[in-house]
Amino acid sequence: MNTLPVYVVTGFLDAGKTSLLNILLNRRDWKDVRILVIQFEAGEEEFQSQYSNCHNLAFPKKVLEQQPKLVIEQIRSILQNHKLDELWIEWNGVIPFSQLQSLLLDSSLRTLCKIKKVIHLADAANIENLLGRTGAALPEQIASSDFVVVRGIASAKIFKRIRHLIRGINPGVNIYQIKDYDDLCQRLLEERDRPVSFFFLLVSMLAALYFIAAPVLEDFQIPVNAFTNVFLGIILQAIPFLLVGILLSSAIQVFIPQSAIERRFPKSLGAGMLVAIIGGFCLPVCDCASIPIFRSLVKKGIPLPVAVTFMTATPVINPVVILSTYYAFGGNMRIVAGRVCYGIIASLIIGLTVATWPPKGQVLSGGVLDRLMCSCGCYEAAESVTTFKGKVGLFLRHSQAEFFNVGKYLVIGTFIASIFQFFGTKIFTTAQDGAGLVVSILIMMVMAFVLSLCSSSDAVIARSLAKQFPTSAIMGFLVFGPMMDIKNVMMLSSGFSKRFIGRLLIVTFIVCFALVFYLPLVGGI
Amino acid sequence: MQAKAFNPQVFLEFLCYCVFGGLILYLVKSGKYLSYVTPRMEPYLYFTVIVMGIWALAGLGRLFRPQYKIRSSHCYVLAIPILLLSFPHSPLSISDLSGNYVSGNTLSSVPNVAPAESITGPTDDSSSYSENDFSSSDSAAMDSIDPSLSDTQTGILEEEDGYTTNLPGLDTANKKITVSNDNFSMWLTVLYDNIEEYNGYTIIMTGYIFNDSESLQKDEFVLARLMMSCCAADLSPAGLICKYDKASALEAGSWVTIEGTIFIGQYEYDGEKYDDPQISVAKITPTKEVEGYIYPFY
Repeated sequence: MNTLPVYVVTGFLDAGKTSLLNILLNRRDWKDVRILVIQFEAGEEEFQSQYSNCHNLAFPKKVLEQQPKLVIEQIRSILQNHKLDELWIEWNGVIPFSQLQSLLLDSSLRTLCKIKKVIHLADAANIENLLGRTGAALPEQIASSDFVVVRGIASAKIFKRIRHLIRGINPGVNIYQIKDYDDLCQRLLEERDRPVSFFFLLVSMLAALYFIAAPVLEDFQIPVNAFTNVFLGIILQAIPFLLVGILLSSAIQVFIPQSAIERRFPKSLGAGMLVAIIGGFCLPVCDCASIPIFRSLVKKGIPLPVAVTFMTATPVINPVVILSTYYAFGGNMRIVAGRVCYGIIASLIIGLTVATWPPKGQVLSGGVLDRLMCSCGCYEAAESVTTFKGKVGLFLRHSQAEFFNVGKYLVIGTFIASIFQFFGTKIFTTAQDGAGLVVSILIMMVMAFVLSLCSSSDAVIARSLAKQFPTSAIMGFLVFGPMMDIKNVMMLSSGFSKRFIGRLLIVTFIVCFALVFYLPLVGGI
Repeated sequence: MQAKAFNPQVFLEFLCYCVFGGLILYLVKSGKYLSYVTPRMEPYLYFTVIVMGIWALAGLGRLFRPQYKIRSSHCYVLAIPILLLSFPHSPLSISDLSGNYVSGNTLSSVPNVAPAESITGPTDDSSSYSENDFSSSDSAAMDSIDPSLSDTQTGILEEEDGYTTNLPGLDTANKKITVSNDNFSMWLTVLYDNIEEYNGYTIIMTGYIFNDSESLQKDEFVLARLMMSCCAADLSPAGLICKYDKASALEAGSWVTIEGTIFIGQYEYDGEKYDDPQISVAKITPTKEVEGYIYPFY
């Protein structure tokens, strides 16, 4: 016996689920399809079947919550006693989707029916408000849907905004306006993708491609072998530090309650900055680690200027970096002290610019959602899990999700940096010939950005260039490189808006340049 | 009771953690990680293995938790490094560096360690040296780097404290230094830190011939090894300048053992002169390629 296909419509109260069913199921060309509609919610609109091919069953929310066995038993008896072609379920907007799954996976039902497609219906007028306030069920429903249908769209701009919001929860989901339901009906019949099989297919295709393309590319003097080595070198160097950062940031996210931060963290900007600098000094991590921590600090409500100061200071002034700079420059304390001082001053100024001119609009790309729940798709606000065991579980899942989230940008960033490595620093050193101080500093800063070296080891590279470049240019490399490079910008884009990242990049560049250029002139270091 | 259903996404993640963690563990255990990163990274790589192990175990508990929407694309974060690690590729050799970023670099990756030269990359005739296969490469040679590291470190430490006794290969009585392949990096540091002290010593060391630099005189070449300061992205030649009458006739990139006398040379860069330990070569013997890189501060 074939299992009965189940189509699920989810959505918050008054999103228009029943109206959608009325449109979809009363189509003339479906009039011979025998359909059972089960509603777990009593809305204002009644479900009405025009061609009497649809039967209809309703369970109040109370029954579902208190007597799930009864619900299962009733569904089972109907499925066994009636010949049906499709089962449509209108799911309740405040109950997690996973509960419906458990229901249908019950041993008495799992052989009878199987979820085929899930449609989420959203009302453009209030979805943005609802998402921030109504708990975990709604984002979870959006995340587990195949299609999202948006109704009541007032303008193309609003649709674009809502689409961005929804894609943030469920990347790659198909989003329709309600008038496109013809198209939607077509898509309902399509087979579902099989992501895991697709994954293995793509992996084997990549492998095949490598074996075919690598020798050809090598023939054209494109060093695939060198590229592979460089890529793996940077990745193996970065992943352990990224893990340190992610575990720390997840721990902040899960174990430290927001109220504690709000209560304990210094209220004044100055004290906050001081804490940021000291914190940065105490954290022996490189830039791969400071970015996830930065993000979780912002999410936890640490003032943005303080968090920015922390993020820019940490990779420059921590003990590991100080030590490696000391060794690389053969114990030259002027360079070491210079790097630390410039790092602190630059990060303070960058923080202050953020304080003086607060960024407009959303800083976190996830917007309101990020405040409520972690972006990891666990849909459990950290505050709601109270047992220690539960928190450890959440911590693990959160760190995994964050690893994949930031990791993908690390891989892309490393890929780009590896290609630049292939072109070489030669273009930079050649450009340096006979260049003035300003140009030298600019060259070194651009080089630091492009090469994306780990801040715990970039001092050695800087030293190797020290005889060709003036000290100020070397400083520019040592101070700007850890704060901003291709890899960092990519990783920042996992959680922040493009506008904010762009601004941070420009401000950091200008501040670092101004410092290393002007400070020595006025008798600084 | 919670309903159960096999969860392919959790399984895929589990697989990625296991394979990635396993590969890293293999790289560290076999010493092959030294082709990509410096020995400094060893504890961090173990840490990575442990985290991967914990994540894999945590995933096991969710292997039968039902999930409607299955995702897989995030797993490429681990799959791509896994693929590249398992594809056949050989460690970077001197010939790979032509056109590479390192070649624009200076020999003086650490000036205390090596003289300052701007390198334009070894010539093409050294390309035959690239054909050392990764799989066939002598892992014993890589392993042997490890014990030397501790030697090197103590060597440097002693140096800083002013006790220069018992350096490996040092024969004070005969004023002779025999630099083993494992101690190349250490001796570079020691010689640069004590230019006066070892002036006039006889030295025996092995490296490859690097003479393709504009700043080298006709009778000079550099006896170099590839040095990794951070990861495979920054490999660059490092070594001592050697004076040899027929230097220009030597084949660039060929591996040799030289015997000569250390003297204080002058190295000129940008109008300024620097003291520089150099070798006046008495004897050159061809030898076979030395596997592995050298690492500063070790």
